[in-house]
Amino acid sequence: MNITIWEPSNCAQAQSRALSDDTLVRNRPSRQTTCSVTAELDDKGQFADLMAAYAAPIRRLCATYAESPADREDLFQDIFLAVWRALPGFRRQASVRTWLYRIAHNVALTRRTRDRHRQSRESPLDQETAAPTEMDFRRLALKRAIAAMAPGDRTLTLLWLEGLSATEIEDVTGIRAATVAVRLSRIRKRLHPIEVSR
Amino acid sequence: MSDDARWLSAVWMSDDPAEKADVTQAIDAVLDRDRAEADRERRTRIRSLVALALLLPVVLWAAAHGVTPLVRGAYALMAVGVAVIGTAEWLYLEWSKQALPGPVDARSQLQKTAFMLTRQARLVTTSAIWASPAFIGAALIGAWLYRERTHAEAIAVWTITAAGWLAMGLGTMAVGARLTRRREQLEQLLAELE
Repeated sequence: MNITIWEPSNCAQAQSRALSDDTLVRNRPSRQTTCSVTAELDDKGQFADLMAAYAAPIRRLCATYAESPADREDLFQDIFLAVWRALPGFRRQASVRTWLYRIAHNVALTRRTRDRHRQSRESPLDQETAAPTEMDFRRLALKRAIAAMAPGDRTLTLLWLEGLSATEIEDVTGIRAATVAVRLSRIRKRLHPIEVSR
Repeated sequence: MSDDARWLSAVWMSDDPAEKADVTQAIDAVLDRDRAEADRERRTRIRSLVALALLLPVVLWAAAHGVTPLVRGAYALMAVGVAVIGTAEWLYLEWSKQALPGPVDARSQLQKTAFMLTRQARLVTTSAIWASPAFIGAALIGAWLYRERTHAEAIAVWTITAAGWLAMGLGTMAVGARLTRRREQLEQLLAELE
């Protein structure tokens, strides 16, 4: 089966590379290669690229949505499972980043309703590095503040902290960009004590 | 972004948990789960198909060649009931699939999932009604046994039928209540998001 892909589909190489979103999007048209590999192998290559590039933000997201490390790992796998299944339907016109964040937040939000009955007593946010630095304390304070937010505010805050613009956040959440901006300014006020602590 | 906002973002991103985990292992774990879930779904569908393929011909044959019109009618009703149950199970699985999170915006996703949960809840809570032909058919077999054979046999068939019907009704009501609770939580989430 002949298919066109945007990266050489060498999985081993792809997995070892951590690509930024921009690299993923920019490289696609310029590095098109025709390969006679199975569609599955091609998908795996793309999937490996996506996972390498987005593992960190998705793990950060999981840390605020799931309580215990096991739940976090479960959520992480759920998200990438949904990404893997949605990958064949991905349209190249869309931004990879917003497409992936849509899936990630949808999985995290809908999973919440399934998991509400199973509350862990573990305090996951305390499991930081052995010798915490100043930055670790601030990050912990930020994580706690985010974890205490209502799901809607939490979603907006996470997307904002990951560097998405109001328009991109609208794309991911379906909330109008103007409303996003207003709500974010309110959230910023709540996060102000952490900001001023620097 | 202002300086303060940039600083907060920098604090947030200074946590790079991906470095702590092996991406290759994570990919393998996800693909293994995908295979396992696909296998489980395939097994469920095959089991249902085999059950239908074994049961339907027998019931249909009995409906065509039953000893009396009452028995033929009873088996015909059972055939209808079995077909309806098979279709309902297929519908339920399809709706479950459609409710899975995908690449749409969060509001649309929550609305879609809530809608699918409403449909599923309605389907399962009414199962005692739409599956009734199968149970009524079985009860009619009991009536034939009462008339033509022994009362004990008839009572045994009626008891089993009533217990099955009741168990199905109660079980599906519980599932329906769980689905409704999930839908309400999703709607609450949607309200919070908006």
